[in-house]
Amino acid sequence: MSEVATVVTGWGITIFVIATYSIWVVSRGKAIGQELGIGEMEQLDPRKDAGATTDL
Amino acid sequence: MTSVTHSNAKMTATATTRVLGVLAIAATALMTVLGLLISPADVIQGEAVRMLYIHVPSIWIAYGAFVLTSVSSILFLRGRKRREDRGRHYDRLAGSAAEVGVVFTGITLVTGMLWGKVTWGTYWQWDARLTTTVLLFVTYLGYLALRRLPADPIVRSRRAAVMALISFVNVPIVHYSVDWWRTLHQKASLSVGRRPEITGEMYWTLLYSTLAVTIVAAWLIIHRYRVIRLEELRDEETLAALISSRLDKDDGSN
Repeated sequence: MSEVATVVTGWGITIFVIATYSIWVVSRGKAIGQELGIGEMEQLDPRKDAGATTDL
Repeated sequence: MTSVTHSNAKMTATATTRVLGVLAIAATALMTVLGLLISPADVIQGEAVRMLYIHVPSIWIAYGAFVLTSVSSILFLRGRKRREDRGRHYDRLAGSAAEVGVVFTGITLVTGMLWGKVTWGTYWQWDARLTTTVLLFVTYLGYLALRRLPADPIVRSRRAAVMALISFVNVPIVHYSVDWWRTLHQKASLSVGRRPEITGEMYWTLLYSTLAVTIVAAWLIIHRYRVIRLEELRDEETLAALISSRLDKDDGSN
């Protein structure tokens, strides 16, 4: 494999892995949130967003 | 038992993390332009040097994530008897950071193998740096597996915290392996108290790439933390429903 092909493969794999993992994390959060009945509208309220909890 | 209500639970996205997410995408795009187009090719390594901008930041972020896992595990072990909810907060933080650390260690291994093929002529060599890095990857995979074993949540978290502290012993070994043993792997590109091996545009691109990957990792850790919290909520609801149905059944039979 040439240097350019190696670089493209390495960067491609990195971006693919990070993108796939990010999508999995967000989808899992949405799926469990829906299962628990936590609505997206609740999150759009900035007052709740600002001070709901000291957690992350 | 700690009760986490829906009213203070968040979905994984908030206004803050949406901004951080947009920032992460923009930072990654700029990192790609700098790393692949603007930064010059190396005199010796040629175009292959561009692997530096993903390989090195990935392992640095993995180190950082494992430090966060260890510190959170210590705080969990210290605080679990006094304030259970805070203890679980640290446990979630440890779990989410470890998972992100494992992802970046995996990226380090794959990009290192590809880079090794063009510079050393082989994908793999059982030298000190490569062997200790794969051991790091496997031990933290074990840590993540331990977190999924069926057990009382507090007991499981305590076992995981101990495992995290044992696993962390390997982090400085990985980092200093190139100094302690003769290895095929080159010495650290940047090191405290040592003149940098690279300069100019390469140096700044590496530092910028580290910043960009840090933003991505922060976004991932925050989201993963929130997903773990939602998973706990779901487990608590399932348990409460099972206990309730059992009590109803017992009442009916009496």
